[in-house]
Amino acid sequence: MSILTVEHISKSFGTIQAIDNVSFEINQGDIVGFLGKNGAGKTTLMRMITSFLTASSGKIFIDGDDITKHSLVIRQKIGYLPETPPLYPDMTVYQYLTFSAEIKGVSSKKQAVQIAKVLEECGLEHVKLKTISTLSKGYKQRVGIAQAIIHEPKLLILDEPTSGLDPIQIQQVLALINNQREQRTVLMSTHTLPEIEKIAQRIIMIKSGQLVIDQPLDTLLNSQSTPSSLEQIFFDYHQDKTPTQNVSCYS
Amino acid sequence: MNKVFALTKKELHSYFSSPIAYIILIATLSLFNVLFFMIIDQNREVSLRDIFQVMEFMFIFIIPLLTMKLFAEEKANGTMEFLLTSPLTPTMIVLGKYLSMLIFYSLLIGLTGAYYFIVEYFGEPDPYSILSGYVGIWLEGALFIAIGLLTSSWTRNQIIAAMTSYLLLFFLYFSITFTKYFTGFTENFLIQVSTRTHLDNFATGIITTSDVTYYLTGILLCLVLTRLSIDHKLWQ
Repeated sequence: MSILTVEHISKSFGTIQAIDNVSFEINQGDIVGFLGKNGAGKTTLMRMITSFLTASSGKIFIDGDDITKHSLVIRQKIGYLPETPPLYPDMTVYQYLTFSAEIKGVSSKKQAVQIAKVLEECGLEHVKLKTISTLSKGYKQRVGIAQAIIHEPKLLILDEPTSGLDPIQIQQVLALINNQREQRTVLMSTHTLPEIEKIAQRIIMIKSGQLVIDQPLDTLLNSQSTPSSLEQIFFDYHQDKTPTQNVSCYS
Repeated sequence: MNKVFALTKKELHSYFSSPIAYIILIATLSLFNVLFFMIIDQNREVSLRDIFQVMEFMFIFIIPLLTMKLFAEEKANGTMEFLLTSPLTPTMIVLGKYLSMLIFYSLLIGLTGAYYFIVEYFGEPDPYSILSGYVGIWLEGALFIAIGLLTSSWTRNQIIAAMTSYLLLFFLYFSITFTKYFTGFTENFLIQVSTRTHLDNFATGIITTSDVTYYLTGILLCLVLTRLSIDHKLWQ
């Protein structure tokens, strides 16, 4: 069943066409790698899905609801981590998660249980009383993910969650994302291609605002004439070696 | 309402977890205390009318320092995106932040309540005129906060937010002094739009519907404009 449907979405900023007629569907339970160069339009599209930006044309449905008509209900179903974790440096981890739970409508009865659950899930129990400003970048990223899942959203949207992390922190964050597989659908943009290859079932790639790949990862890797990695496919598309589009699932 | 209170609590925490709130409280009250004793010593009146006028002038400088970070800091830190993609309406965000500043301001005003007991010690002040003066200065501060909230919603730069507030507040405060250059509608407009016209009545113990309406309309207008500014992401 489709949790996210993007239908012919376009977005322009003045004369700049940031997103150009993009359509795709994401099924429940998938981890989807959302790829593209810097400036390709990944963040713009994610911001439209989270209803932070409105589309110039087209429609987005989450769990069957049109986001322009049921914005509040839909935001309850989405967990979102922007590229820079949205943290309040003067709060402790616990205070921040309490605040996140309150504004995301977690009932006061469930708050303590839910906070304990995400602290454990994200490996934050031993830093819960620390002020956020004193945490390392890896921990800050985990706190960002914790706020995104505190209300148990159906769809988790992560904008470059491994950006700026060291290899060990990348492994930890990806393991955390991989653990979400059973509970929710994940759409994540990233540049760490070898790593996303290990956890994603599906790849969506955009180039200059246009969809160029929308395929299951296995199909994409096997469709190449020679055995290839995701990294190689990414380079090929951006060096214009293989201009043929691999958009198979949605039109 | 729980979400509004959560935002209010978060804002108050952000003020009181840093020295800002304490410095502003201590500095403002110290300044008011000095001016209060100077005024009482000079006038020898058991009235707070003049101190209310001094407070009004001082709040023009103090309130923008309190309100400048309300939205500008969220935008600069990237947390505005967090708020706007959470299940909150722009109205909830505006009310939560406004309420927090109103609570802080009420605390500041409340701490000057000792002035009544001091003048009572020396004579028999009119409690109703002092009460109406406090109502007036509270409404005036509430309007100043709403203006500060609005200017903070326009930019991600706190200095620009504060400076824009100063411009608007100076206009409201000093507009009455320019009436001698105008006649007719413009003169009347400058008189009616000036905060001094309306606070003077409160400070002398007169509460009129038109004065209360002036403040409430101004507050409501600023809150609605702030909501629109947030909704349309004008700072972008």
